[in-house]
Amino acid sequence: MSVGHVARAIESAGIPTSSIYIRAFRHVAEEMKLSRAVVTRHPMGRPLGAAGDHARHRRVTIAALELFDSAAEPTLVELPEPFRASTRR
Amino acid sequence: MSETFEEFRRSFSYGSRSNLDFKFLKSLPDDEAAEFFRQLLEELGDAYDHGELDSLIQLAIDWQIRGYAPEEGAPRRWVYEDGPFAAPGKPLAESRVALFTSSGHFVADDDPRPFGVEDMTQQEAEDRIGEFIKAEPTLSRIPAETVREDLRVRHGGYDISSAATDPGVTFPVAVLRELEAEGVIGELHTDAFSFPGATSQMRIVKESGPAWAQMIRDEDIDLVLLVPV
Repeated sequence: MSVGHVARAIESAGIPTSSIYIRAFRHVAEEMKLSRAVVTRHPMGRPLGAAGDHARHRRVTIAALELFDSAAEPTLVELPEPFRASTRR
Repeated sequence: MSETFEEFRRSFSYGSRSNLDFKFLKSLPDDEAAEFFRQLLEELGDAYDHGELDSLIQLAIDWQIRGYAPEEGAPRRWVYEDGPFAAPGKPLAESRVALFTSSGHFVADDDPRPFGVEDMTQQEAEDRIGEFIKAEPTLSRIPAETVREDLRVRHGGYDISSAATDPGVTFPVAVLRELEAEGVIGELHTDAFSFPGATSQMRIVKESGPAWAQMIRDEDIDLVLLVPV
């Protein structure tokens, strides 16, 4: 919830926000009526992807940023990619 | 010493078997938690032969989603009818973007020293979770050019092992630096911000949230990317 409250406060101050949620907490973004959210199918503690999976971190970050240009109203997008373990050991 | 199954599953949430990746077991009814273990062991047994762990990992994620799903019919505290929506004043490629996370990152020489404790360990943060969730959060300011070796993370609410290995899993400042260099975003704000999200919700709503929003306005930040954990 913490970031949801922060997002609402920042939006109320007139500054657009976009948030990255994991699927387990999608209901929080929905209940708090956040302006822009990207939802990943990743586990808690790894919202952008596995450690070392830089390509996935980029994919998720860009998806969240693109909402600033594309969303004309409150928008939540769930990314389809399943979590993947990094090949890094 | 005998132990009931309920005591066993609850022990993963800040108990004798504390494991923050699996603390959701506390929220599952006994029969569902038992089914989780049955499926987990079945998948593990299959993995002996095929060696692929993807389905095992997916199973754990699916059950984590079930564990955190709101209980049907139970009252929910922070539900709003609508929310504020601010429209950007200029395109992303011309905007100054700041990163703001609840991951609990900070710079090594700027430890927020929760409760006045010097060099608090992750274990102590987990042990004191009950105090954290009643306390005012401390916001850490992290220069965007901070190198990975100088970043630290501590958060009593989630398993930080991944975020400690690679900050990018919860604190994607490295990606944002790349996107700035590539012109995808106009500019990355000089500082990123992080706080441990396991904190007093009421203080966030009434004090910290509005204060942080004002700070962001004062620093001429155009857009904020938020990462909750």
